Amino acid sequence: MKAVRQALAILSLALIPSAITAAFHPRRPGWTEVRRGEVSLETVRNWGSSVLWVDARPAEEYQVGHVPGAIKLSLENWDTDLPKFLDQWKPDQKVVVYCSSTSCELSHEVAERLKQNGVSTVFVLQGGWETWKGRK
Amino acid sequence: MFIRIVLSFLFIFAGATKAYDPSEFAREIARYQLVPWTVSVLGAIYLPWLEMLTGILLLLKRFERGALLIVTVLLLVFSGALASAMVRGLNIDCGCFGRAFAATGTLTPLIRNLVLLTCASVVWVDGQQPPQNEG
Repeated sequence: MKAVRQALAILSLALIPSAITAAFHPRRPGWTEVRRGEVSLETVRNWGSSVLWVDARPAEEYQVGHVPGAIKLSLENWDTDLPKFLDQWKPDQKVVVYCSSTSCELSHEVAERLKQNGVSTVFVLQGGWETWKGRK
Repeated sequence: MFIRIVLSFLFIFAGATKAYDPSEFAREIARYQLVPWTVSVLGAIYLPWLEMLTGILLLLKRFERGALLIVTVLLLVFSGALASAMVRGLNIDCGCFGRAFAATGTLTPLIRNLVLLTCASVVWVDGQQPPQNEG
């Protein structure tokens, strides 16, 4: 019981520097996740029709629903999906990759892979499919 | 005594490396795909200080039982997250020491955590024993 009381005191005490960090730390994280290479849905909409959407989610999720016109390009089936992507991609097009949600890493991995394959204007949709579905 | 000091310094060091760059630590937490981004942010802001505080208290032998309890719970939580990442086949780095070390994957940190849990148990049991009479 003594250990629990002490632990609660420590947990409370740690709140003080944490609050200072949240308020003043120069590298404090934002409450909305924006990572390098990510763009918001509003930004993509402002780009108009010159965007090529890429769905990085597994095939089953793509079948259930996807952004209209999006090309399926997953790491699992990279060799078969990439030629289909290249058929539709034009070098002056902006490519926007998405996966399930904010915490999903697939879109970043696919974007990185595309860059390695010479597709330079690649972005990742912030919030992924969930954001698109919520605001369409 | 030695184990307690090692455990203390490891927690102080781990906390300090993460407290230096909470944004990066939030991204490390998010890569586990276990909690929403907001929770990752809260964890990134709070956990480094909790680690440092428990490490310092353990070192100073103040609130020792409470600090040990927190150390044990934290190690269990971290180990659970690492095991879950391994099971789901996530190719991520542990994020245990910020960017202080090169990427270590998940298996090595999981084994290290299990060793540290054993160390915490030893310190816990050692603290339960009555002091020996000298002379």
